[in-house]
Amino acid sequence: MKNQPEEDVFSDRLDLDLWVRVFRHALPYKRLLIRLAISAVVIAMVDASFALVTRWAVDDVVATETGLNLWPYMLTYGFLSITLSAGVWVFINAAGGLSNNMSHDIREGCFKHIQKLEFAYFDHRPTGWLISRLTSDCDKLARIIAWGTLDLVWATCLVVMISIVLLVLKPLLGLLVLSVVPPLILISMFFQKKLLLSSRDTRKFNSMITASFDEALQGLRTSKVLVREEANLDEFGGLSSRMYRSSMQNALQSAVYMPIVLTLGSIAAGIALWRGGSDVMTGVLTLGTLVAFIFYAGQFFNPINQIAQVLIQLQGAQAAGERVLSLLATVPGISDSDEVKTKIESWENQHNRPEGRALDGGEREIKTLEFLDVDFSYSDGEPILKDFSLTVKSGETIALVGASGGGKSTIVNLAARFYEPTGGAILVNGKDLRERSLAWYQSNLGIVLQGPHLFSGSVRENIRYGRLEATDLEVEAAAQQVNADPFIRNLEEGYETDVGEGGNRLSTGQKQLISFARALLARPRIFIMDEATSSIDTETEQLIQEGLQTIFEGRISFVIAHRLSTIRTADRICVIEKGQILESGTHEELLTLQGHYHALYTHQFTQQQEARLFAEVKQENP
Amino acid sequence: MNSTPSKQAQPALPAIQSPQSPQSLLWLLMRGFRGKYGWAIAALFVFTAINYLTPLIASATIDFALSEQPDDGLLTATIIGLMGGAAFVRAHLWFPALLMVSLTIVAGGFSYLKGRFAAQASDGIARKLKNRLYDHLQRLPAKYHDRAETGDLIQRCTSDVETLRMALASQVVDISNALLLLLTALPIMVMLDGRMTLVSFALILPIIFFGYYYVGKVKHLFRGVDEAEGQVTRVVQENLAGLRVVRAFARQDYEIAKFAEPNQLYRDRSLRLLRLMSWYWSSSDLIVIFQQGIVLFTGIYFISEGTLTVGTLFAFIMFLNMLLWPVRQMGRTLTDLGKSFVALTRMGEILSEPEESVPANPVLPEGPVAGRLEVKNLAFGHQEGEQTIRDISFTVEPGKTLAIVGPSGSGKSVLMHLLLRLYDYSSGSIQLDGHELADLDRQWLRAQFSVVMQEPFLYSKTVGENIHLARHHAAEDEISEAARLAEIHETIQGFPSGYSTPVGERGVTLSGGQRQRVALARALLQETPILLLDDALSAVDSETEASILKALRDRHGRRTTLVIAHRLSTLAHADHVIVLEDGRITQRGTHSELIAEEGLYSRLWKIQNADEGERTQKP
Repeated sequence: MKNQPEEDVFSDRLDLDLWVRVFRHALPYKRLLIRLAISAVVIAMVDASFALVTRWAVDDVVATETGLNLWPYMLTYGFLSITLSAGVWVFINAAGGLSNNMSHDIREGCFKHIQKLEFAYFDHRPTGWLISRLTSDCDKLARIIAWGTLDLVWATCLVVMISIVLLVLKPLLGLLVLSVVPPLILISMFFQKKLLLSSRDTRKFNSMITASFDEALQGLRTSKVLVREEANLDEFGGLSSRMYRSSMQNALQSAVYMPIVLTLGSIAAGIALWRGGSDVMTGVLTLGTLVAFIFYAGQFFNPINQIAQVLIQLQGAQAAGERVLSLLATVPGISDSDEVKTKIESWENQHNRPEGRALDGGEREIKTLEFLDVDFSYSDGEPILKDFSLTVKSGETIALVGASGGGKSTIVNLAARFYEPTGGAILVNGKDLRERSLAWYQSNLGIVLQGPHLFSGSVRENIRYGRLEATDLEVEAAAQQVNADPFIRNLEEGYETDVGEGGNRLSTGQKQLISFARALLARPRIFIMDEATSSIDTETEQLIQEGLQTIFEGRISFVIAHRLSTIRTADRICVIEKGQILESGTHEELLTLQGHYHALYTHQFTQQQEARLFAEVKQENP
Repeated sequence: MNSTPSKQAQPALPAIQSPQSPQSLLWLLMRGFRGKYGWAIAALFVFTAINYLTPLIASATIDFALSEQPDDGLLTATIIGLMGGAAFVRAHLWFPALLMVSLTIVAGGFSYLKGRFAAQASDGIARKLKNRLYDHLQRLPAKYHDRAETGDLIQRCTSDVETLRMALASQVVDISNALLLLLTALPIMVMLDGRMTLVSFALILPIIFFGYYYVGKVKHLFRGVDEAEGQVTRVVQENLAGLRVVRAFARQDYEIAKFAEPNQLYRDRSLRLLRLMSWYWSSSDLIVIFQQGIVLFTGIYFISEGTLTVGTLFAFIMFLNMLLWPVRQMGRTLTDLGKSFVALTRMGEILSEPEESVPANPVLPEGPVAGRLEVKNLAFGHQEGEQTIRDISFTVEPGKTLAIVGPSGSGKSVLMHLLLRLYDYSSGSIQLDGHELADLDRQWLRAQFSVVMQEPFLYSKTVGENIHLARHHAAEDEISEAARLAEIHETIQGFPSGYSTPVGERGVTLSGGQRQRVALARALLQETPILLLDDALSAVDSETEASILKALRDRHGRRTTLVIAHRLSTLAHADHVIVLEDGRITQRGTHSELIAEEGLYSRLWKIQNADEGERTQKP
């Protein structure tokens, strides 16, 4: 039904435009880039010079009878050594600095951007997918930009330098030795590509294995209870074997690649020895030059291997680049329009701001919320709401009841502006919601959901999430109001107790109480409860119920609940089915209507009546 | 009903006792693959030996064929003799060249063998280790998982194994290679020239010590970087999981600030590591180059004195390059080894956690299980000195229904966990058909229960498979029958691919109530003597719940059933009800008895029935 998370696709050609765009993220660090390039060139030059010093010294010592002054050679050598190691120091710092800063920046950019994207964006993108974008993709891009640039510049320089030296020393022999370079490049590219593909397979299986571990841990109890440990292990074993096979393939490819490349290197050395040897005998070539040639022949492999690797990696990382850039380029579907942005700006620049205004200069208080002929469908096209209309005034509590899938949650999601209507409009104080600031509107919301989500941190921090500037006393007062205070005080460290990852050290009911306190602390104008009481036991619910009345007071409240006790007190109850309001009115009105609500409500009543009957029968016949 | 105890899976490795040193853990893990390593090292040895020979050919050719040194009877002279003598080589210069190339090809063959064996060993160990970790995690007690952080465990089981695998693939062989190189190079070098040999090794020891010192310094930095990376992932994960909460309170800026902290920490720690690395690499490079320089210039000095030939110097330089490469890598090798020891320690921590205990002499009940449960004076606490539940006693006769009622946190779920032996009770007794639970095989015991939990877990398989896995040989119509009973059949049929629709991120997202009903269907397919419903229909609307419960009653008269529920109206048919408060039973009796009795139950009943009073006044 939904798209599989995309796998890396290997692109056959380099998308230069893409890399230019990725490269832009390196521009703030121009100085590092320059240092990187310079140090790479210097290192390549020094690397190529060592063999020349050797040749120079060897030739001179062979020519001189005795008492050769070694100092000039040694000083040159020492100078080159220190230059090289200084260059290495500079390039590691520059490349590493660039890589780390870039991945930091891209990651931050992505995270910031994700905060702005609308809900619909996340409907089709699993959490794990987004996490990989922010972690491995960012690192991959930054690494290839920094170290890739370095390798490319250094290796190219080195190859060019060596070629020049060889051709200058002995053009014909140089050409002969250099003839192994083109096949070396081709073979390297071929194998590097193979290696990249097989290592990608391995990584794919690795992420499947990660998912499998995650599932094993999440479903631990279920697996134990179903006695599925061995079946799970069998499935996992299949997966780890597939990973083994692809990893083996990768290892074998590189086991074949290395000998081939080494052979090519020895062919170059062989040519030097054979042809160069003849030249030495005829006196055309010095012994030192021959030694230098053989050295150089062995020096090609490394830089060419590097060049091939970088080129292939660039092709391989293209998919990661595209994903990250497209994430950054996604236009948030729900955000302030340009008009609203202008309003916010002009309000900020205004000197004496009248009281009671919001940050966009509009009314601060929310008095009414109105659904006007709202249509809505999720991206898969199935319509959820059609011509839905509803007006709610401040102080009113609306209960939404009806079978699941009828559109209740959609209504509150729209009221929270998590989604926007595909037709019609939602009006706040008679004005289209889209003409008001999103931040202002959403800061007026208080929401308690069915599956309460807490962040790791203390109980206190979690409640304070509702209003960051709240004092400790206010936090505790909110907890008291929803009757969460007693259980919190009973925790090991009271309000300072760490709730664990996702709040998993607390029971669902306890989490829910905390999320109630959190919502209350926010002093919302619009309060939304989506199945919030279904996971709390009756007694706790009754406790909350008392607190709820004060929460509802003076606010616009939407309540979705199965429990009649929660619903009964609502000012208006709407029975929702297939995106339509079937019935609406107070509890009493709807009961007299003898319709859907009546059926729903009397169901539990009859059950209880039956039970009482059974009880009486049992008492009569002990 | 399958009542044979499942076979105890043969552990792939001997049990790992209390935390042990990473070295001995490594040795243990290598069991079964040590032979492969032997072959890999042997192949590498041959490869290395041939590689030494190759520069000697060039060296001999230079000295005897090209510069006409007198035959001194030493190694290179012997080699030139083997090639047919200086005169022959001088006339056929292609011969030594061809010999060099052929030797390289032969060496390549051995290099391939080495790569193959090393990969078989390291990947094999990694696979075995992963399987072992997976198996072990599944066998660790639920208590362990209550405290453990999922993300951390996963990292240990995946990236830590990968770190180890890479170390096993290259480091084990590399270190042996370095040692072999040293051992074989030394005699050859001494044979060539004793003075030069001394000079060649002048700085080798300092390089190795320097590398070792450096590794000691950076070990904790690597761990710090990994931790910071973990924090980044955790914040992102939490942010995405709590997306609605973030939006609901418009806390985007707060979240961005919260993310900036670990993100910066990650960068700063990586940079600190890098700074140390740059010092290490540049100074070790410098030492290495100096070492080469020392050899070069001492050699030249000897040549000028006439006590050394150019060919021998050439051979020494080549040898030194070959030796220096692994020595130069030593820093990285030791670093990686350090990292893999950290990884090993982290994995060892998991592996040394005791698995769920196995009874010394497990009782194997014969014949069908009736399903009589008897609990006596049961007490349990998560920690020493703490009592989550105490003094629990009750009996459920076969086929009867026991309902458990109580406020959240009163110990209801703990009780269920104890019955399933997900937790081990510390005092008191629980008996199934007269057998003490502690004496029974856990898996056998659990196979007697069908369980539906409040927040049921579904596997990332298709909906059909999720139900099917409860009983492997169940026919298709049995599956749909179970689904029909759980009132989820129609819903499933409405999915795009019906029963073949995948669940979760790749497929449909089920609501809480739908999940509960799929889990119920799964439990119904298992034909076990005992059914446990832990608030199993809390997210299902009361109408559906009532009709499901009625269907269950009609069908499952013979099953022993334990129900935890909040809606008292659904408990009217229970044979017995116990009320748990703060870990103790405060009330017991039938539904009707409890209604009549002053206490929590009747109070709850009144709360839930407040509607009724109002309604009777209405008409």
